[in-house]
Amino acid sequence: MKARKFNFEAVLFVVGLLVCWQLFAEFKLISPIFFPSPAKTLTTLYERAADGSLWPPLANTTVRMIYGWVFACVCGMVLGLLIGISRNAREYLEPSLEFLRPLPASAIIPVAILFFGLSDSMSTAVIAFGSVWPVLLASIHGFAQIEPRLLEVAASLRLTRAQTLWKIVIPAAMPDVLAGARVSLSIALILAIVTEMQASLPGLGQDILLAQRSFKSAQLYAGVVMLGLLGFAANASLVWAERRLLRWRPN
Amino acid sequence: MKTALSIVHDAASTGSERAQPAVRVLDVSMQYGSAAPVLASVSFDVKQGAFLCIVGPSGCGKTTLLRMLAGLIQPTGGTVEFFGAPVREPSRDRAIVFQDYTKALLPWRTVAGNVSLSLEACGIPEPERQNRIGQLLATMGLSHAADRYPHQLSGGMQQRVQIARCLAQKPRLLLMDEPFGALDAITRQGLQEEVARLALESGTTVVFITHDLEEAIFLGDTVIVLAANPGRIAEQIDVDIPRPRAQLETRENPQFLSTRHRLFGLLQGH
Amino acid sequence: MPGWLKGWVLPVLLFIGWEAGSRAGWLPLDSTSRPSLVYKAGLDGFKDGSILQATWQTLEAAMLGLALATVTGVAIGIMLGLSSRMESATRPTLDALRPIPSVALIPLALMLFGFGLMLEATVVAFACFWPILLMTIAAVRGIEPRLLEVARTLELGTFERLKKIILPAALGRLMIGLRLAVAISLVVAVTVEVVINPRGLGSTMMAAQQSLRSDVMYAQLVWLGLVGWLLNALTHRAVRAWPGGEGAPA
Repeated sequence: MKARKFNFEAVLFVVGLLVCWQLFAEFKLISPIFFPSPAKTLTTLYERAADGSLWPPLANTTVRMIYGWVFACVCGMVLGLLIGISRNAREYLEPSLEFLRPLPASAIIPVAILFFGLSDSMSTAVIAFGSVWPVLLASIHGFAQIEPRLLEVAASLRLTRAQTLWKIVIPAAMPDVLAGARVSLSIALILAIVTEMQASLPGLGQDILLAQRSFKSAQLYAGVVMLGLLGFAANASLVWAERRLLRWRPN
Repeated sequence: MKTALSIVHDAASTGSERAQPAVRVLDVSMQYGSAAPVLASVSFDVKQGAFLCIVGPSGCGKTTLLRMLAGLIQPTGGTVEFFGAPVREPSRDRAIVFQDYTKALLPWRTVAGNVSLSLEACGIPEPERQNRIGQLLATMGLSHAADRYPHQLSGGMQQRVQIARCLAQKPRLLLMDEPFGALDAITRQGLQEEVARLALESGTTVVFITHDLEEAIFLGDTVIVLAANPGRIAEQIDVDIPRPRAQLETRENPQFLSTRHRLFGLLQGH
Repeated sequence: MPGWLKGWVLPVLLFIGWEAGSRAGWLPLDSTSRPSLVYKAGLDGFKDGSILQATWQTLEAAMLGLALATVTGVAIGIMLGLSSRMESATRPTLDALRPIPSVALIPLALMLFGFGLMLEATVVAFACFWPILLMTIAAVRGIEPRLLEVARTLELGTFERLKKIILPAALGRLMIGLRLAVAISLVVAVTVEVVINPRGLGSTMMAAQQSLRSDVMYAQLVWLGLVGWLLNALTHRAVRAWPGGEGAPA
């Protein structure tokens, strides 16, 4: 752990950037319609927080994202377990999964609309479908690569199948599963935003699209900032959880 | 002598049971498909409480033989009997210490947690478990490392953890597959003494595999030399050096030297 | 059954089940269509050129965005990789920008560029910039310091140093970043099209859905899957063929 010196240069850089932007905006060197000044953006953000109009869309997007993500993680892990531990299952399924992996999840949206219309169910279906892939593939990988020696130890100790699963197989695959879950979460956020924009569902995604339509650029930028913060918070929480659950790992 | 080690091995046997060999290997062979056989017609007995060392060059099938004793694989010919009953599958009675300790320990559990695994498998309830873990760790000199994770320990310590976990099973047979092969000489000698002491105090039957002839003679009551291609018994010798055996003195003991002399040629010659 | 054949069992069974189920009336034709119709719609789409045109539009936007990301990512990556002062000065800013989901920039890009190629390309560029930047920094940092010393001893000018030593040495890791970026570029391009942009495969799929032509929609979906898979396979090959591509640790 390096000692943390106060990073003057970074602060200078950020401050410098913001100051330049602010000055450009003030002196109308950049169009205020397209590039509202940082001051305006922050003020808008503050106002919306103060009058409470910020929280419902934030909550909506967050709930949507987490709902779909949890569903995807459970399915992904269970399916990953069933497929990963069976060589046979892997041989039958892996080629199809490899083919589906590069498919853009958003391409499912028209299909989902066909079945669910422009609704919350459509959003959940798309988010779940899109986010299942990273955690599914990572789980398959993790469960397929359990150290055989550990399984021999389990056999030697006469552990039941349930005990082997709970005490050995699942903990052994956890690093892979959690890494996959982290990627899944960022995909879940993206798809939450996309489906909101698509189906005009309440949330930050819809917010910024509406802001664009009415050329309320400060509101747009404020929304983008919020989404950045949401993305950051989501990832940071998972990194924290991962570090705690996997604290047994070297380095 | 009732020591902490009596928890390791409950010796309760009738007269007839005591006479029965712990392990009987009868005409065992191992062949994969039509390839050259790995083992051909190996037969030997291991008396209860005895310490058998099997030594041989790489590829002589000693690990295969040990895994058969454990029940992890089945011979293609012949039988393996454990206290009179045929060995068909692994059992908690036959604990096996693997050479690659990094792969045999659960990296996500602490030292105490790893030892606990055996006790959990045996169905020991929680409070009793803690007692036994404490005793076992003390026996193996691991008390100070109870809350450490395997990757934080040296090779010798990790191997001790594996041994502790095996002892927790209260096995009637302890199988050790070149357990000290990956360790440095000093650690190896220390662990040799410990294993010898443990075996003596608990009376557990031990089958110990090694490629190190001196280690085999130092530790064993009996030494079997396996020749390779195919694996077969080249020689079986009893080592009558009294126990406990100290490292330095034993290695200068005339019987040690003569046995070593005799077996050395066998290992080189074939 | 040989391994490669096993992989086909499930898809073949699914298609047969789909066709049979549809013909038997168990599956609603409007929303699920059936393989024979989908196939026909696909063929028609190729014959009248609509699928290829849409594919080209998507790929065009993806490649343009990828190019923009590569130029900026590599340039900035080299600068930050070589100067740890600059890297630590800019790190908080970059760390603040990175978590912004690329799709959140769609309305912004729409406002600046209106509908069309640039809208997509800029969003793709933002998404692809990050893996390329990070990989370039790692690649530059990973250059054997001895080589940089050699460059200084030979008194090569900055540009020459770049051309002769830095770029070739960094290329291996860079290729791995590029491989990831290629996959991202396709996904983001299609996403922008699905959401809002009236060009490319994403929007034609949406149009098909809206005009209740599910056969056309599925045909394009399968085609998109093939394109994605092919792109993936090609970039894998390219990275492996490049000297130092596959061997360099990610």
